[in-house]
Amino acid sequence: MWKSIIFKEWLKVRWYLIGATLLLGVFVSYIFINVKHDITFQDANNLWYLILFKKYQFFGLIKYLPLLVGIGIAAAQYVPEIVSKRVKLSFHLPVNENKMLLMMLGFGNLSLLICFSIVFSIFISLSNCFFAYEIVNEAIITIIPWLLGGIAAYSLVGLIVMEPIWMYKIFYLVVTSMFIPLYYERGITGAYKPVNLTLAIITLLISVSLLFSAYRFRKGEM
Amino acid sequence: MDNNVIECKNLTHYYGKKLVYENLNFNVREGSILGLLGKNGAGKTTTINILNGFLQPRSGECLIFGENSQHLTPETKGRIGFLIEGHVQYAFMDIYQIEKFYSKFYPNWNSEPYWDLMSKLKVTPTQKISSMSCGQRSQVALGLILAQDPDLLILDDFSMGLDPGYRRLFIDYLREYAKANNKTIFVTSHIISDMERLIDDLLIMDYNRVLAQCPVNQFMDSFKQFTFELDNNNIDLSKEKFVASVDKIKNKVELHTFESEDFVKEFLKKENISVKNFKQVEMNLEDAFIGLTGKY
Repeated sequence: MWKSIIFKEWLKVRWYLIGATLLLGVFVSYIFINVKHDITFQDANNLWYLILFKKYQFFGLIKYLPLLVGIGIAAAQYVPEIVSKRVKLSFHLPVNENKMLLMMLGFGNLSLLICFSIVFSIFISLSNCFFAYEIVNEAIITIIPWLLGGIAAYSLVGLIVMEPIWMYKIFYLVVTSMFIPLYYERGITGAYKPVNLTLAIITLLISVSLLFSAYRFRKGEM
Repeated sequence: MDNNVIECKNLTHYYGKKLVYENLNFNVREGSILGLLGKNGAGKTTTINILNGFLQPRSGECLIFGENSQHLTPETKGRIGFLIEGHVQYAFMDIYQIEKFYSKFYPNWNSEPYWDLMSKLKVTPTQKISSMSCGQRSQVALGLILAQDPDLLILDDFSMGLDPGYRRLFIDYLREYAKANNKTIFVTSHIISDMERLIDDLLIMDYNRVLAQCPVNQFMDSFKQFTFELDNNNIDLSKEKFVASVDKIKNKVELHTFESEDFVKEFLKKENISVKNFKQVEMNLEDAFIGLTGKY
């Protein structure tokens, strides 16, 4: 039964997920082609100097990509559910509605985690080829909020898409557009270190917000 | 005593301040096919949504297999087959994927009727449901419900978008299946002629009220249409209590009523209304429905 729900969610997001992972992979590869280029043609000392003392973010190119991936996965997963109110089919299945929604959410979050983990692992491996541990560590600390932003965007876009009442949709959209930039504030490399744990907890808490919209849908609010 | 699969008691619902209906009561007997008939906006889909727990009524309740429809357990939901208006299904799946998906949810799953219906469709194995015609999608939806083998089928406007051939196929398959297996069906459709072949009992709703609730045969026996020509064009019969509806074009009158021919003739005689060519007209269910609810 639960395998069937995973199967359905997989059918919805599979091409997008594979495409997004490949796209992120291409961007990460491009980052390190640039790094290699800079080391070869502009001297490694110069690049290290920029990274260590000028806080140059050699990986800045991927800043908003996790956000786009999160929005895309949410759209791929939840838009088919609201077209023709197809989510009624899901709610009619002989399973507990909340458990099913949590399963859908869990699948989406896991998909994002797998996608980010694959790309992040490649990023760390390649970073380790070119840079010292301290630089790689700072880069990880800087990228974590961007990834969390993608996960938060996934949850909030799911909430907006599944919301049956337009006024609430607009309200959630405004809140989302004010909240998500918190993950993408300008700052020097590693600036998010003191708040990464807090952001992770907030991201976890908002991940179940979809249940509110789904509850209203089930009660027939429109 | 009848064993009711659905019992709706004192249902009242509003959309904002607009009353849909007040104190609606109806039951659906086990093994019967009840058709909910009504014009657009009369509350058919509202009732279906309440039955499926997708809408909370302002007051009243519906019990399905004895459980409140707002809080159906997974076990009870497993006993209900649900066809959404427009034959909505997971359009991103093909016919193999969707059968595989649903089969894991229902212990009595029997794929034979599904594949039987699919064999009649000219679709490729990997064709997505989204690229099928409305008629083909209806067969997929019907096949899935038959494979689920539910005790109760709730079908919301099953005839929407179907051509006559597919409608006939759908109805014949459904009726044979329901009667052979003692299934209960609650069905709405805006094509009344389809219902005539399918349903045992009817519930006719108009805006805010129930106009008729009885077996189809009883309705067709008791509801009558008379035509006659008035000598005096100015006579207005629409306000008479026994008249369900009346249409008048010049002096030609079409009158619908639950009263007998003798009653109507006696009334006309008593009121000194002179008519000629008085006759009772045979009606089908669609004629009777329009006669009861009016053309507008």
